[in-house]
Amino acid sequence: MATVSYEQATRVYPGTGAPAVDGLDIHIDDGEFLVLVGPSGCGKSTSLRMLAGLEDVDQGTIRIGDRDVTHLAPGKRDVAMVFQSYALYPHMSVAENMGFALEMAKVSKDERVRRVREAARILDLESYLGRKPKALSGGQRQRVAMGRAIVRQPQAFLMDEPLSNLDAKLRVSTRSQIAELQRRLGVTTVYVTHDQVEAMTMGDRVAVLKDGLLQQCDTPLGLYRRPANAFVAGFIGSPAMKIREFTVTDGHARVGELDVALSRSVVDQLAAEDATSVLLGFRPESVDLVGPSEGFPVTVRLVEELGADTYLYGSITGAAEFDGPDIVARIDQDRPPRIGDTVHLRVRPGQEHAFSPATGVRLA
Amino acid sequence: MTTETLDAAPSATRTRRRPEPPRRTAAERWRRRGPLLPALALTILLTQVPLLGTVYYSLRARNLLRPETDEFVGLANYGTVLGDEYFRTAVLNTLVLTASTVVLAMALGIALAVLLDKKFLGRGVVRTLLITPFLVMPAAAALLWKHAMFNPLFGMLNWALSVVGIGKVDWVSQFPMPALVLMLTWQWTPFMMLIVLAGLQSQSTEILEAAKVDGAGPWDTFRRITLPHLRRFIELAILLGSIFIVQTFDPIFLITQGGPGQATTNLPFAIYQTTFRAFEVGEAAAAGVIVVIGTIVIAAFALRVISSLFQEES
Repeated sequence: MATVSYEQATRVYPGTGAPAVDGLDIHIDDGEFLVLVGPSGCGKSTSLRMLAGLEDVDQGTIRIGDRDVTHLAPGKRDVAMVFQSYALYPHMSVAENMGFALEMAKVSKDERVRRVREAARILDLESYLGRKPKALSGGQRQRVAMGRAIVRQPQAFLMDEPLSNLDAKLRVSTRSQIAELQRRLGVTTVYVTHDQVEAMTMGDRVAVLKDGLLQQCDTPLGLYRRPANAFVAGFIGSPAMKIREFTVTDGHARVGELDVALSRSVVDQLAAEDATSVLLGFRPESVDLVGPSEGFPVTVRLVEELGADTYLYGSITGAAEFDGPDIVARIDQDRPPRIGDTVHLRVRPGQEHAFSPATGVRLA
Repeated sequence: MTTETLDAAPSATRTRRRPEPPRRTAAERWRRRGPLLPALALTILLTQVPLLGTVYYSLRARNLLRPETDEFVGLANYGTVLGDEYFRTAVLNTLVLTASTVVLAMALGIALAVLLDKKFLGRGVVRTLLITPFLVMPAAAALLWKHAMFNPLFGMLNWALSVVGIGKVDWVSQFPMPALVLMLTWQWTPFMMLIVLAGLQSQSTEILEAAKVDGAGPWDTFRRITLPHLRRFIELAILLGSIFIVQTFDPIFLITQGGPGQATTNLPFAIYQTTFRAFEVGEAAAAGVIVVIGTIVIAAFALRVISSLFQEES
């Protein structure tokens, strides 16, 4: 068990101009579960593969514990990886798959059998040890891939979208099993996903990447409550926060037909940037349905009834044209408005997220 | 009601797994078959008629030098062939020639395929050059080796040996079988290499990466992960290669004439000699039928391997 740190780690694929991972700086504590999340092509898998040693590091350093592993071969890093396709060895039985790394490490046969049994017991795979991967279901294969990592008792687990080949229901249950298992074993884990729900539910901390750049690394709640920029605000949270530009006059943002007061520091920062507008976003739970005199009018575009929650997607009347709905509100499910209706919404004071229109950075 | 439908559903899907061909009228069936018939007729004419002719001749004692002796002798020709020292030597020579060539070509083919699987500058050119021996006409290749390589006076092999101080070797007289194996290995290595290369390129890179992370070195990865994956491809290449190499005729005819003595007489050459030197049509036909049966046995194995290959893929 060990800490893992990226220090200005950079990867440039030959023949491409922009780095796939650009100056990544993350320190992961011993036993921590860190999730790398972002849209496809953001560099999250590349970052993980750099840590595994499957991808070269062009600049910077990667450390596991006190060891500089930047240029060490994958097999010498003492990390175990779970692949998206599981990458099980097709001609080997489950037991042989799980014991292969130990065999390569010249662990004695008795010890190997003992550790494979133990891992199989933890993962409920004992009755499948003699089977070939071909004869297993998707969920069982996923567990074998996990087992292959566990038996090694490595310094870190690396997981590259290990749940994306499972069906939706199995994904949710396996998600909590992996998180629980990781906490029990206490092994430092780096987990890559494109699914922000997975990231929020599993990680101790979540690192959001975009275009090879780290946007923010914080606890799930920290990301949700104080997104560092407009991208993180829109990426984290379901349904996603809608963010759009509003004109600013006299310290107030003109939201449709209503002036919303901005905090002093936001106004000062906007003035320093010489900006006449601001990017504002509201979490669905910060927006309330109110009477006509209290809020700004919104045309209902879509109502989503999910059972526990009902979400209203609307377009703010009087604001400039926007691609798709520009506000989402969580509303009382007993009296949902109909599509095309005009309703009035109000944002709870102080719960708006303001970002610079020039850089997208959070203003607070 | 609901339980009934639920119970019925799985059995219905089970029976439906192999869909029945849709019923068609006789006219429609013939409209579909019609265009294929000329090809079928030609295939029968070119393959089955000669085979039946051979079987017919194999049951008769017929020598072209004595046209008056043409009578039905049952399986006597088969007895003669199987009891004949000359044919038994030919069988043995065929086995030695085929097995050595296949094993050597496969070993070289695997080595070259592993090299070609790596990325390097000029890989396309190297690949084309390595395939070339397979594209040269067998007769042309045989003449090339006979004169340019094996010639004791001006052959390349002797020149290469003279560089390291070894004297002149008359390859075709002193080492006739190794010389033929060498030439055939040169010709068949590209075939083995191509099939093994296809196998290598069908291997998932994630599995190789998993082996790397698991701490397996290059040799362990090859032996424990890649070779088992290649097994079926290797089996297929060996079986297909064997079927072709058993039929080798051109280089033997052109380089050694089956000699010295009978040292390089294989079955096709023995059959040729029996037919066109001894004019023993009956015996030659019987030997031909025996070779066909032997080849069908090998081909059956080959087909089984191919079908299991496809099953693995799905």
